[in-house]
Amino acid sequence: MAIEDDVLVVGGGIAGATAALAALETDPDARVRLVTHRQSTLRHASGLIDVLGYTPAGEGPLADPFDALEALPTGHPYERVGTDAVREALAFFDRVVDGAYEGGHTDRNALVPTYGGTVKPTARYPASTAPGLASDTRETLLVGFETLPDFDAPLAARHLEAAGVPFDARGVTLSFPGIRRDDAKITRYAHLLDRDEVVDADSGERSARDALAASVDTHLEDESRVGFPAILGDDRVETVREELAEALGVDVFEVPMGPPSLPGMRLEGLLYDALEDAGVRLTSGVPVVDYETTAETAGGTTDRIDHVVVDRNGAEVPHRADQYVLATGGLVGKGVDSNRERVYEPIFDCHVSHPADRYDWFVDDVFGDQPYARFGLEVDRDLRPLAADGVPEFSNLSAAGAVLGGYDFAAEKSGSGVSLATGYVAGTRAAEVGGR
Amino acid sequence: MATDTDVLVLGGGSTGCGIARDLAMRGLEVTLVERGNLTDGTTGRMHGLLHSGGRYAVSDRASATECIEENEILREIAGHCVEMTGGLFVQRPEDSDEYFREKLEGCRACDIPARVLSGREAREREPYLASDIERAISVPDGAVDPFRLCVANAIDAENHGARIETHAEVIDLLREGEDVYGVRVRHDSGPGKRVHQSPGSTEAITAEYVVNATGAWAGQIGAMADLDVAVRPSKGVMTIMNVRQVDTVINRCRPKGDADIIVPHETTAILGTTDEEVTDPDDYPEAEWEVDMMIDTLSDLVPILEDARTIRSFWGVRPLYEPPETGTRDPTDITRDFFLIDHEDRDGVTGVSSIVGGKFTTYRAMAEEISDHVCEKLGVTAHCSTADRPLPGSENIAALEEGMDRFGLRSPVARRSTKRLGSRSREVLETDDPNPVICACEGVTRAEVRDAVSQSGSDLNAVRIRTRASMGNCQGGFCCVGMANELHPDHDEATARAALDELFQERWKGQRHALWGEQLSQAMLNYALHATTMNRDYDPARSEADRDVRPGAIGSGSTAADLEYDAFDQGDR
Amino acid sequence: MSDAEQPIDGGAPDEGDDEFEPIQVFPEAEEMDLRPGADDCYKCSTCDTNCPVAAVDDEFPGPKFQGPEQWRLKRQDDHDIDDSVMKCSNCMRCDSACPSSVPLSQMHNTARGEYVEQTMSKLSREYLRNRMLANYRRFAPLGATFPRTANFVLGLSITKWLGEKTLGITSERELPAFATETFREWWEKRGGNAASKRRAQDAREKRGGNAASKRRAQDAREKRGDNAASKRRGESNQPSEDKRIAYFHGCYSNYNTPEVGKALVRVYERFGYEVLVPDQHCSGTPMFANGMLEDARRAAETNVAELADAIENGADIIASCSSCSMSIRQEYPELFDFEGTEDVSANTWDAVEYLRVHEDLEAELEGTSVGAEFDDFVYHAPCHSRNQGLNGQTIEVMDAIDGIDVHDVGDSCSGISGTYGWKAENYETSMKIGEEMFEHMADADARTGLTECPTCSMQMEHGTGYEITHTLEVLEAALVGDSSETDG
Repeated sequence: MAIEDDVLVVGGGIAGATAALAALETDPDARVRLVTHRQSTLRHASGLIDVLGYTPAGEGPLADPFDALEALPTGHPYERVGTDAVREALAFFDRVVDGAYEGGHTDRNALVPTYGGTVKPTARYPASTAPGLASDTRETLLVGFETLPDFDAPLAARHLEAAGVPFDARGVTLSFPGIRRDDAKITRYAHLLDRDEVVDADSGERSARDALAASVDTHLEDESRVGFPAILGDDRVETVREELAEALGVDVFEVPMGPPSLPGMRLEGLLYDALEDAGVRLTSGVPVVDYETTAETAGGTTDRIDHVVVDRNGAEVPHRADQYVLATGGLVGKGVDSNRERVYEPIFDCHVSHPADRYDWFVDDVFGDQPYARFGLEVDRDLRPLAADGVPEFSNLSAAGAVLGGYDFAAEKSGSGVSLATGYVAGTRAAEVGGR
Repeated sequence: MATDTDVLVLGGGSTGCGIARDLAMRGLEVTLVERGNLTDGTTGRMHGLLHSGGRYAVSDRASATECIEENEILREIAGHCVEMTGGLFVQRPEDSDEYFREKLEGCRACDIPARVLSGREAREREPYLASDIERAISVPDGAVDPFRLCVANAIDAENHGARIETHAEVIDLLREGEDVYGVRVRHDSGPGKRVHQSPGSTEAITAEYVVNATGAWAGQIGAMADLDVAVRPSKGVMTIMNVRQVDTVINRCRPKGDADIIVPHETTAILGTTDEEVTDPDDYPEAEWEVDMMIDTLSDLVPILEDARTIRSFWGVRPLYEPPETGTRDPTDITRDFFLIDHEDRDGVTGVSSIVGGKFTTYRAMAEEISDHVCEKLGVTAHCSTADRPLPGSENIAALEEGMDRFGLRSPVARRSTKRLGSRSREVLETDDPNPVICACEGVTRAEVRDAVSQSGSDLNAVRIRTRASMGNCQGGFCCVGMANELHPDHDEATARAALDELFQERWKGQRHALWGEQLSQAMLNYALHATTMNRDYDPARSEADRDVRPGAIGSGSTAADLEYDAFDQGDR
Repeated sequence: MSDAEQPIDGGAPDEGDDEFEPIQVFPEAEEMDLRPGADDCYKCSTCDTNCPVAAVDDEFPGPKFQGPEQWRLKRQDDHDIDDSVMKCSNCMRCDSACPSSVPLSQMHNTARGEYVEQTMSKLSREYLRNRMLANYRRFAPLGATFPRTANFVLGLSITKWLGEKTLGITSERELPAFATETFREWWEKRGGNAASKRRAQDAREKRGGNAASKRRAQDAREKRGDNAASKRRGESNQPSEDKRIAYFHGCYSNYNTPEVGKALVRVYERFGYEVLVPDQHCSGTPMFANGMLEDARRAAETNVAELADAIENGADIIASCSSCSMSIRQEYPELFDFEGTEDVSANTWDAVEYLRVHEDLEAELEGTSVGAEFDDFVYHAPCHSRNQGLNGQTIEVMDAIDGIDVHDVGDSCSGISGTYGWKAENYETSMKIGEEMFEHMADADARTGLTECPTCSMQMEHGTGYEITHTLEVLEAALVGDSSETDG
């Protein structure tokens, strides 16, 4: 027999988790299930919550994203849900993460230093990133590590200055106490600090946090804040940061990194803790591979999804719900896939509009106006995916997050904001429509 | 009048580098100028086949014989550039028995070791071969890294006193009356190793003798001094697979045709090719059908290619030439032999010869013949020694393989690194400093990247061809930032940034031809990483001058000068 | 298999079909060359962030290197797989982490197999120790024949000292005690399949009165019948009148915790299922983990043949150990190609999952209870359950039983990973990995630990002192009560 729920969300990134949480908040009695196959792209992403950094026409960075939201073109996911929904979703996010993120005190974007040495506009940032804001005028020391070649602190410091930041920046490269192999994973760095393991440092055996602080301290001059690549622990980043700050006598912040991204993993952790606390039923590690419909009654042309089929290592288990939310991601998350002939949505085969010729999927400049970056589903204002003829594909399926088309999240810096806003609207709507 | 150099070689491809090495080893003063990086022309745009001669065994036995001779020499002198994969000519049911027999006879007549395998034996050797392959001829084909080979020639030339000048485009061939006496070049960034964003300059270089070894561009160079070199450039596509589906070169055993070869090359397999005459070697269509044809046609030989990941495609332009009056219409009928045009004999213009035609495998023999010609012109009697002296990196290769040192690296990384560096491995990889992997797809460590930077300056594409860094499945998405980081602090921030932008753009260029399935997902991830996480697309550090990053519909955002930091969130402290 | 008695309980451990070499359908190279598997990798390193070993030990370069990178860099004639592959604990968390479906554990298993075959000395202590650990089933019968002596000897400190010094098996751990009666001995004594058939029949008749339940089951079958997709794989194999399952008990419930097997039999019979207990070898998990692919191949061949027979007889395959079900469902089709492998894989289920899908388990559990001494649990979902999408299942099912309190320890790995944590050189790493789980268990302050994996339960007990039980035992308590009187 089928596993039965009221709302079934497919996909476990920001959009899916938000949809599930919003559904339960809307109807606390609803049975909400989240089915996720592979891990989400949160682990690739910076962990920042970008709402809108640049307009589609390239104006920016936007100091206030909300003005620009009103002017977005028809079909843009923000246009579909409306500016109020974006505000509500952000407020919802702030409640969910409960202090772990900052930026909610203002409508304005923050500029955050990136590990490449640029600055980027974002709406919410982890507490561990907050002391590093680029609008803050305090002198800054960046610390990199010989065995983490992606982040070259001296070069990033020079780059920040070239980007015109209002402070002096300097970088040093150190060896990380306790790391013996050049190919240690970032989770190893984080674990050493999380657990404050005893390490062999130049000064003998001591705890990892002490040893790190001591090696940074000798390089600290007049700077009043120190930035590290985002590896300062996983579960206990705030403790690690506080201890380092105390030992160094300055503020300590993280520069978002990735992939892989510890800030992304931490955000995933916050969302999954919230899912568990809320009582969302979680089925992970298995794909939705198929679905069955029942024809809509009353002569409608739109079908209704009766159940979806989950493949559990060969056993196909039907899962039935009233409402379904598709939040399977874009080209990276594989919610949108392609071959030489076409671009498609693999579970429900919802319509993805794209040029027929694959040589029209791109432009020649790598950072040009890339058509492929906009591939995804077109939706109505209820976020129901639309077929080529503009009619909803299914009456009880909505879509959220990067599976949606019509926006270039990378250029706009709008990825997590769209996921939050559309996830929030899709989840809320699913619970309202499907409520018992 | 005293000249700057004895011999000026134009063109940094295999022929040019081969000539430079040969003449330098004979004691001549040599200067080589190249428009871009070494191998930027045809040499860097070939499938990397070290011919056994088998491909010419039916149509052109002279070439075939020359190939097998040079094949054996290169194995000796360039062991670190060559992988003896062996090759198969495979016959499908629809391919002719007659041709198969001719191929076998031709190989034997040219002393190419050849053996017939049954279909089953062929599949035992290459399990992914199609089940209906009927039989195959096994020949000693190999794979060669043209970048490494070319660079090794250039390094050896330098070791013998030559001046190698890359990013120096010939803008004029200097001619006075009936004598060519040098060139004027435009340096991209000043003479010497390339440094991004440093100002360029022009330079006149005079020589006793000028060798035009610019291949498909020989006509354009000749025209600068009113010399007619009727080269007929012909393009061909090469499609690169993410992994090696085969470890043996697979040739289709049938008369000439498109899409008939798969070459296992380093970590990849290269599918080739097409043959279409073009008018301008710098501007020709890179057509979708050519890529599709590679995949669809070669899937008949190796069916898993149909759904396998391709990471990019590139086109090369063959410098085909045929003597006047031959009148061949189809470029595939034009001979692959090379021609030395002595402009004194032909046009009455002294001081210059042009080299056209030819093929990569016999580059050394060509270089020898031309060098002999140059020596004769200059009255030099020294003999060629390039066939006997190993290239830098290839000394005592066999001994190295036996007692392989891992230099503290994980075994496959050590294996690939030492294969690339050959006898230079110890010099490069032995270090007490941390030596993390910079390019994980190809197993390239910091020490190897820094070694390449020391050779070529801030040009990351030059680092790429020396190390293979950024040539794997992420096509630089993950490693090109790490590569650029290694430029600092020897090079400043703006230089490192410009070099990064150039490499990233170059990597995108080839990937566009592979944008579906996995590589489209990869492209989106790379784009998200560079645009979203790093905001490289709207980097305020870019000046107004280099704002072409988002041309067209999209604007370019604020620059450092007009970005008002205090308008943004200052934090809630 | 003609020698029906031979496989599990009979004979000396080394008397078997070791000489038998299976005929290979494909040439070795095709089966082993996994380079094309690297095509899906886009280098995001999500796998690495899920690796519990890489987080505590920087000697281990992580699953991305061990999988797609190492394979892509390999040549056919390279015979030096990096030795770090032996540090992989085979928890398989990377497998379900990869957003791009790289066959990571298959690559690791194959690399490990090549490493052992080509690089590890067959006379080394490490090889002998690994072979012994991997082939637990071969020496377990000795212990089970004289359980009290064996338990006594294994418990002696001198034995443990010898184990560490001579074999490299950690002396920190208590070796698992052998039961005085194996599951199969109990099963035979109880009357085997004939008795089960009777009991199932009785239960069905009794349940026959329960029309609603019958209708539900019928509905479910019809729905599945309509569903074209389910015809591909995993379609229910149940004839409507004849509910029949074949139990893959694995080694541990046979020799060490027969109470788990008994619980399974009683719960399934309660739902009217006739239970078969086919002959069987080790599922292969410890062999994969130690790179003993030939041992695994031999075991798998017997298992596939026997289980395929059971399927032919109308049974679905049910396992109570999450590693056993994982192995049959995923690793068999990835690594082997015996006739029926796919079919066996597609018809194998986790014990609780099967009831959930084929019966209305939650409805049956409504209103049941298990007694106050047995209703406060701290649950750890084994990595191999997660891989099968079963991580939320136990919590959801337990919720239906009155008065039960279950705390989930979250997604931490226990760290023992089968034979991994038994090796002296891994003990410390194993305990470091488990640290987070231990802390969560301690914080939960429950009465009993709960999991579905035998080695996880050893680690849970070892790290916290909790007594550990299996989910099936809780279901037995709720649905059957104490039936030891009637069962003997």
